[in-house]
Amino acid sequence: MPNWVKGNNVARILDLSPHAAIYAGRLLAEAGHDVIRVEHPAGDAIRRLAPYLGGKPHIEYGAYHQFFNAGKRSFALDTSTSEGLEVFRHLAATSEAIIGLPSALNAEAFHAEQPRLVLGLLSNDEIPEICQYARSGMLALTGQPGRTPMLMGGHVIYAATGLWVGVAMASALLVQDLTGTGQIVTINVQQCLEVFNEQAIGTYASTGRLSNRRGYRGAITAVSGAFQCSDGWWMLSVPNGADRWSRFLDWVQDPVLAADPSFAEEEHRNVAKDLIFDRLDRWSMTLKKVEAVDEAQSQGITSTPVSTPVDLADDPQLVHRGFLRAENLPGFGSVQVPAGAIASLFGRPISLAPSLGEHTTC
Amino acid sequence: MNVTSLPTVDPSAVAPPLDGVRVLDFTHIVAGPFCTRILADLGAEVLHVETQTRTVGVGVHLDRRDVRVDRSKESITLNLKHEAGQAVASRLATVADVIVENFSSGVMRRLKLDYESLEPFNPGLIYVSMSGFGHTGPRRNWTSMNMNLQGYSGLMLVTGAEGDPPTSVSNSWNDFIGGLHADFAILQALVERRRDGRGGYMDLSQAECSVATLGPLVLSSAVNHQDPRRMGNRSSSIAPQGCYPCAGEDEWCAVSVQNDEQWSALTQAIGSLALANDPRFTSVEGRLRFHDEIDEQIGAWTGDLSKEEAQARLSALGVSAERVRRADGVVNADDAGHVFSPLLVPGASKPDLAAGLPFSLGISETLAPKPPAPIGHDTRMALAEWIGLTDAEIDELETAGALA
Repeated sequence: MPNWVKGNNVARILDLSPHAAIYAGRLLAEAGHDVIRVEHPAGDAIRRLAPYLGGKPHIEYGAYHQFFNAGKRSFALDTSTSEGLEVFRHLAATSEAIIGLPSALNAEAFHAEQPRLVLGLLSNDEIPEICQYARSGMLALTGQPGRTPMLMGGHVIYAATGLWVGVAMASALLVQDLTGTGQIVTINVQQCLEVFNEQAIGTYASTGRLSNRRGYRGAITAVSGAFQCSDGWWMLSVPNGADRWSRFLDWVQDPVLAADPSFAEEEHRNVAKDLIFDRLDRWSMTLKKVEAVDEAQSQGITSTPVSTPVDLADDPQLVHRGFLRAENLPGFGSVQVPAGAIASLFGRPISLAPSLGEHTTC
Repeated sequence: MNVTSLPTVDPSAVAPPLDGVRVLDFTHIVAGPFCTRILADLGAEVLHVETQTRTVGVGVHLDRRDVRVDRSKESITLNLKHEAGQAVASRLATVADVIVENFSSGVMRRLKLDYESLEPFNPGLIYVSMSGFGHTGPRRNWTSMNMNLQGYSGLMLVTGAEGDPPTSVSNSWNDFIGGLHADFAILQALVERRRDGRGGYMDLSQAECSVATLGPLVLSSAVNHQDPRRMGNRSSSIAPQGCYPCAGEDEWCAVSVQNDEQWSALTQAIGSLALANDPRFTSVEGRLRFHDEIDEQIGAWTGDLSKEEAQARLSALGVSAERVRRADGVVNADDAGHVFSPLLVPGASKPDLAAGLPFSLGISETLAPKPPAPIGHDTRMALAEWIGLTDAEIDELETAGALA
């Protein structure tokens, strides 16, 4: 069945997002909106965030720019000048929404001038990424047990907070469509991350227990987690139940595990985790990850590869569903470009990221 | 049904954005319930379809209610293996604006509750499936859980430093990411439905949502044909940045030196003339190059301090620093945890903490978390108010075992 293809709702959205909101504009662009990235004539900071396509620093080839600004238009504007602010006001007058605001403008006064606008603003976004993550309690939960807590890689928390911004903006855009009324939307970046930490917070509140880092082992069943194999890592979770364990052993063919019938019980597997993991670690090194996962899934065992980004670049599932689409990237030829989860969901096209100021004169 | 008879939402800007929107919720475990609870916070009436007949398993908990997945919703029990139970679910679907489900491929079709079965009776229906990998493609039948998707999405091999084993975040991260993408899509779809009166089907893949959050690195790898370096706690553009051990067990302080002025202040805090005067460290390029050496010095200094003291000394001099808080350090602090409010779960001895929305709308109301309804609490109400069944008809369904 084809996914939703309509695209009958196109709002113009000015995107002045800082890093913590940058994914919101991308989501709105994937949904089909006309998102205009308003950036300084020298190019904004996201263009300078490594890594770079081709490996060398260049404001057009930053990977974060290329992904997060895809689907948008670029309007180069110096909003620190009175002329620039005047142009910005003109742009705003023909827009439905704005994310971020030039620092020279007062949000309430500006919105009073144009009350039908949805104006998205961030609060508590002033501290650096790793400090924000530490304050939310999430840093304490990321990493290997007993070792240094780790910031989530790939600046993924910018995408996570941007996702909340996207939901907040979409809520206000729905109200605007229903009523013709705009409003100021305030997204608290610190709280965005704290909500993600709700499980540990709730556990502490209700039991007094503090959650710990788990590294690469799981917690849902006794035998779950990532295992190293001959070409990387894969992950499995052996379900509860004696019959499932027996079937799993038929595959593993390990005499030590097979010799202890008590392991049929999840409770005993929990007690003997170290031994079981030691045996499975050895067994796993004889496997290749994709074959191992295919075999596990065929047995009804929840399993996946532990992917590297290179693995994902031509992942057959992502290609099949149109999440990855072959595009001609200038200077690099045909490349499988991530269209994004929303573009894939709605079956929408998404254009490549614009060059700096490409649409200033439009 | 024609367009004008479609359900509409309240046209007041003050009302919650989803006021008047009915969501029929067939979700379980975390991703789906997280999605629908956000819809409830935005004002939707969320009717969670549950059952008393399902065996206990992952995410199924008849004996307790979970604030994080069950709150702010109405609860109806239906036996979907019973023909009459299925028929009731189908009738509820005719008056729903949105259906969200996260079963494996084929389950809803077998129950005759898939979009194709329901759409003829409700063309305005917005139907969201949110399975692990989507219902098309070679891996459509793969099962997955949060930890698997952390692995599949690339997150575990971009987190941590070079040579580290895969590194997870110890919570249901991917469920939240998938749920929020679904929320965004539903909000967008509700506007699109207003244009033509028609709903549609959305086959969301939780895996795609997770991969999308790492889109930049997937794209760079596709072009460069090599994985990006695992950065650990470091930055590619500023230095030093890290998480440094403090006095006590598993106590740490995060430090992120943003510029040369902060570097100078850091050396002052440490009291190290050697660091301050070393020409290798005066530029960020040098500090990036000799990061290991700098880390040793910072770690030696923080190691003798409590994390609170390390943060206080650095902050006093303008250096970006933050102690690594655990849950108690979030909820017991003046400067954090305000998004949480106490919520008493029926039957529990002490309140749990529930997170509300981390944003506010200037005009429209949003709703504070409400305690979870006991399972089946709203069965009679929903059958009467949604589809107009009489008490006698409901009694008959109950006797037949359709509402178990």
